[in-house]
Amino acid sequence: MKLTWGPQEDAFRGELVEFINDYAPPEALGGKDWIGTATGDIPRWARDWQATLFDHGWMIPAYPPELGGRNATPLQSLIYQEEMGGRGIPRSVHFGGYAIVGPSLLEFGNDEQKALAPAAIRGDTIWCVGMSEPDAGSDLANLSTRAVPDGDSFVVTGQKVWTSYAAHAAKCFCYVRTDTEAAKHKGISVLVIDMDTPGIEVRPLRHITGSAEFAEVFFNDVVVPAGRLVGELNNGWRITMGSLAHERGGLWVDGVASAQRAIDDLVDLAQRRGRAADPVVRRQLAELHEEARSLRALGYKGFASFAQGSSSPEHSFMKLATSELRQRLYEFGMDLQGPYGAVVDPDRSADGGRWQHAWQISLAATIGGGTSEIQRNVVATRVLGLPRG
Amino acid sequence: MDFTLSDEQEMLRDTARALFTKEFPSTLLRDAAYDVTDAGPAEARAVFDAHLRDWFALGDPGVGAGGAAAAGGSSLVDLCLFLEESGTAVVDGPLWSSAALCLPLLRAIGHPDADAVAAGELTGTVALAGADGHWVPNTEPTKCFVPDAASVDRVAFVSAAGAGAGGGAEVVVADAARLTMREVATLDRSRAVFEVAVPADGADSSPIAADALTDVLERATVALAAELVGAARWLREATLAYVGERVQFGRPVGSFQGLQWMLVDAALVHERATAAVYYAAMCIDADDPDRHSAVHVAKAAAGSAARRWAKDGLQAHGGIGYTWEHDLHLRLRRAYAADHLLGDTDWHHDRLADLIF
Repeated sequence: MKLTWGPQEDAFRGELVEFINDYAPPEALGGKDWIGTATGDIPRWARDWQATLFDHGWMIPAYPPELGGRNATPLQSLIYQEEMGGRGIPRSVHFGGYAIVGPSLLEFGNDEQKALAPAAIRGDTIWCVGMSEPDAGSDLANLSTRAVPDGDSFVVTGQKVWTSYAAHAAKCFCYVRTDTEAAKHKGISVLVIDMDTPGIEVRPLRHITGSAEFAEVFFNDVVVPAGRLVGELNNGWRITMGSLAHERGGLWVDGVASAQRAIDDLVDLAQRRGRAADPVVRRQLAELHEEARSLRALGYKGFASFAQGSSSPEHSFMKLATSELRQRLYEFGMDLQGPYGAVVDPDRSADGGRWQHAWQISLAATIGGGTSEIQRNVVATRVLGLPRG
Repeated sequence: MDFTLSDEQEMLRDTARALFTKEFPSTLLRDAAYDVTDAGPAEARAVFDAHLRDWFALGDPGVGAGGAAAAGGSSLVDLCLFLEESGTAVVDGPLWSSAALCLPLLRAIGHPDADAVAAGELTGTVALAGADGHWVPNTEPTKCFVPDAASVDRVAFVSAAGAGAGGGAEVVVADAARLTMREVATLDRSRAVFEVAVPADGADSSPIAADALTDVLERATVALAAELVGAARWLREATLAYVGERVQFGRPVGSFQGLQWMLVDAALVHERATAAVYYAAMCIDADDPDRHSAVHVAKAAAGSAARRWAKDGLQAHGGIGYTWEHDLHLRLRRAYAADHLLGDTDWHHDRLADLIF
């Protein structure tokens, strides 16, 4: 066990820092709790920044240069995430394209589909991911959007919901049911669907902050060429499971980094609001600090087994823990403002309404990507080895 | 930071695990401390002497800056690996007090008995807290919460130095056999604590600087936290095994979601406490500036984890967990007593607040 990495890793970090200093736009350096706009469109600076990261091999460092990387080792990938997460620098506003679609196309797609990956990772093509449906949330395998073979095509009918950036996307990585007779998990396939295909209707869906990154997507007899099938027919469930294994070892880094930034700022806020001598406030913040620091240590402990190729049960806890911690941190930021806790007027609430806004956004973190309830079920059976209910 | 264990550390952990499983069954502890038999205490002492004295030098800070860890010797991480395993078994005897508390203090003042403690020839403990129980140097004539005072060879008394000493303290090392002491019963009979009168005969004292004393207490605190996560681990393993076997309503109770979620949350607290303990040990081994914060985080998290598993583990066991015969209460007692020793969770949170505000 040791606290610091070696000189080679330091050199790698140095290269990254030099790149950041030379190229990162001011908008990326703000260390914000969220990025995104009220209308859900992707700002110009964010598009340019993602392309710059790709062109310099800093988008997904583990990938080769032609895919926006530099063949980085797992440890170098972690250092990358440390440095980016620690400074609160986003890579992209739309996670789905580089983190889900790109890697899945590379792993499961044919040559023509693999060729779509660089633009997905560089952000030149905006992708949405058609997963959730009105009756398929946590029970994703219950999805019912149908794709019926018809000659050289599939005819797709159904509805997706909570589809991020659908209104701005050129393509959809869409999970569809291709066998209604088979067991739920066995009749699912993935299609690449152009969003300008006739029969697709996108209705923006505003979330509780009022912004409209989400959408409902309706498919009415949408004709998709058979060659757009990704992987084998009825083997789509595998694609939901596998993506971005090399990033998973460090996904927690951003969660703990933003928690730590929030704690530092909460201390500052308590001082500005005259609450720094309040023993209850002090103890609560110390507890939150204990949690953030120990989770950070847990993430690194998990990385040690991950990097050696074994599974890392520690990381199963991290999404659950960091998403719940962040909700409590932002809510604490509201409470520190006393009567102003629910004020969103940027001229009257602390830090221009940061805490109230970040708290609202953080409410999605315990739902998206697997609810906390599902995470607890998964940890109970797969990590603790408890019998299934 | 890299949590990968070296081959030697893996071997140390495996050796310790085998040692405590094989040589320290709960009957040994029960006969010596709970259902005391005629031969029990002597047998516990014999097993302690035969198997644990060889390990006192683990984490020996040695002499000079950086100590043994810098010189390639054993580290506080090593000592924590060993004490995590001893914590699963609950050891009756001055292991932690000799290796993690007394030895670093004797090293810090360059006391001639340090080598004998490191070699396992002498056992020792430290007397520091006053009547309020906090481990803050004071001038009180009786020191409280002195662990294992009746079963060690040496007691090192730490008292506040006079005014103008720059917050430093002075240390008097005494032969335990000639001291006046009173045992104060706690929940945990396996680590007795005592009120011990500071010897009045004006024995030679050695000065210790405030930061050197902080170093000693931080080592002892992290080591105690390692023991606590070990106790929590035993409770976790026993509980998970039990709820997987115990059938009610025709199914294992561990398949019920209400119980599963409670245990998942407790497991998370234990996981992060364990990581926090080794992070703090690494910080001390490297004398990293984050060490003070890391120590408070580690002890607060470890105390919370052990208490959480004691309570939730007992609840998950149902009636059997509330019985004297079940070994669960041996760890429950250790969890609560060790959490309150050297600063409980609240105390460490308050010190942490002092650092972050």
